Amino acid sequence: MLNAIRWAVFALAAFAMNFPLIVTLVTSFKSAREISTNPGLWINAPTLENYATVLTVSDRLNIFLYLANSFAVAAMGTLLAVALALPAAYAIVRGRFGEKTLLPLIVNLRAVPLVIFAIPIYMMFQFMGLLDTRFGLGLVMTIVNIPLVLIILVNAISDVPFELDEAAMIDGVSRTGILFKIVGPVCRPALVTSMIFGFITAWNEFLFGLMLTTSKAVPVTVGASFFFAASGGGVQWGVAAAVMMVGALPPMLLGLLMYRKISGTMMAGAVKG
Amino acid sequence: METTHRLEWTLLATPLMMFLLVCLGFPAIVNLIYSVSDISFETLRSPEISGFGNFAAVLTDSGFWRANWFSLRFGLLTAILECLIGLGLAVFLAPLFKDRSWPIAILMLPLMVAPALMGLMYRLVLHEFAGPVPHYLWAWFGNSPAFLGPNSAFWTLIVVETLQWTPFAFLLFHMAYQAIPEELREAASIDGATGLARFWRIELPLMLPTLAAALLIRFIDGFRVFDNVYVLAGSGAGGSTTSLSIYIYEAFFKQAAIGKAVAASVILFAASFAVLYGLNRLARRRRR
Repeated sequence: MLNAIRWAVFALAAFAMNFPLIVTLVTSFKSAREISTNPGLWINAPTLENYATVLTVSDRLNIFLYLANSFAVAAMGTLLAVALALPAAYAIVRGRFGEKTLLPLIVNLRAVPLVIFAIPIYMMFQFMGLLDTRFGLGLVMTIVNIPLVLIILVNAISDVPFELDEAAMIDGVSRTGILFKIVGPVCRPALVTSMIFGFITAWNEFLFGLMLTTSKAVPVTVGASFFFAASGGGVQWGVAAAVMMVGALPPMLLGLLMYRKISGTMMAGAVKG
Repeated sequence: METTHRLEWTLLATPLMMFLLVCLGFPAIVNLIYSVSDISFETLRSPEISGFGNFAAVLTDSGFWRANWFSLRFGLLTAILECLIGLGLAVFLAPLFKDRSWPIAILMLPLMVAPALMGLMYRLVLHEFAGPVPHYLWAWFGNSPAFLGPNSAFWTLIVVETLQWTPFAFLLFHMAYQAIPEELREAASIDGATGLARFWRIELPLMLPTLAAALLIRFIDGFRVFDNVYVLAGSGAGGSTTSLSIYIYEAFFKQAAIGKAVAASVILFAASFAVLYGLNRLARRRRR
């Protein structure tokens, strides 16, 4: 009996939390006419025409460009963050380098509203010609990702037995060699987790995408709103719903693939932060 | 020997330090200089130091204080709601997750969606003609409120934020709950503690650190909210839904009031630094 109540509560919570996703998914398969006569959760005549519209490139709207931008920016923001954080994490754990200064400083960065750096970064980018470029936005995503990536990697390297390092040192392997040949490969699960996390975070970022891009480097979180006024006039809700599904799908798939790891990572981030 | 090691470690950490210095240290200095300068889009490269006029302009702007008040209320309310619901779900539903994890995947799905897209989705959900919520409210009750009108926008946004981020709190509590040793629960049951007493006396105290962390993280995220509020309500009627992040963004991009925007940034920077410094000291003292 109690378990039946539990399932009911679960169903209710799952429905409420995922409600916008359900509505958007349902609406994306409705024709414009059906939306105006039947805005409910039932589809009478499912259609793919909204997706066809979204995937059609016009001179104003190009979903493939936005998706490619999001992908490039997220990939750069993730790989660069890991490349910078891995050696630093190794120095922090094994060399106790900056354990009391650098590490807390970067960990706390996670709690600082990044909007406070937005204006000088905008000016810097304007000066260097990085506005509306994937490279520029990728740099910002690197900043966004570094704190959590560093925490994950510091935790992972702390768990690597020191005997591994020692054995390699006796064999005359250099520090850098140990990092890349021994510690790095042992930490591969943590590296994968931090990359997935970073990728999702960067893909979903909005504020800097809005400020730093205008046309060439627009990410999909920003580009999606362009479709809301696709044909002048009122919003075509079916098209808008379809573009939101397309933009939300990649991180959702990644998250579903990795959800067991993600909860553990959030815990690690919370405890340290 | 010791010094060569030191050099090696420094070299390994140098790329990260350089990157942060250029990408954050430099902007921080620019912020400080601009905040005490007479600045416009024409004089960006030759700021003229002019004293604390920008700070005075911000601190006497009622819009700035309204934005602070919005962010504070929004951060506190959403953090508390998310943690209460998340904790309740994690504890009450725990038996469901014992030997299956797919229900957790369903609950955490909203966390994967960009808050900006989630905000746009609610524009559809709440739309008076195309949205299912007004549709059903009309059909069942013959009435539907203006969800994004000046009186209800704040509460609509609270619900939107809470529904998306409760899963985050839920996950943290779920992990903390699973980490409580089974023997502890058994011992309590043998001593005659019922479910509720076990929760208050044993489980909740053990999860208090997680509760503190979850409250803090959710408060910070709620305080600095931008994406979903911006796409859903903008700055709202008469600035009623202007968060501090939106205030800074609009001062810069909409009003071209660079000095004001930068001064507000510096104030926010100093405030978050002070809060974080205090919290770190507190945490360190408790650990001793």
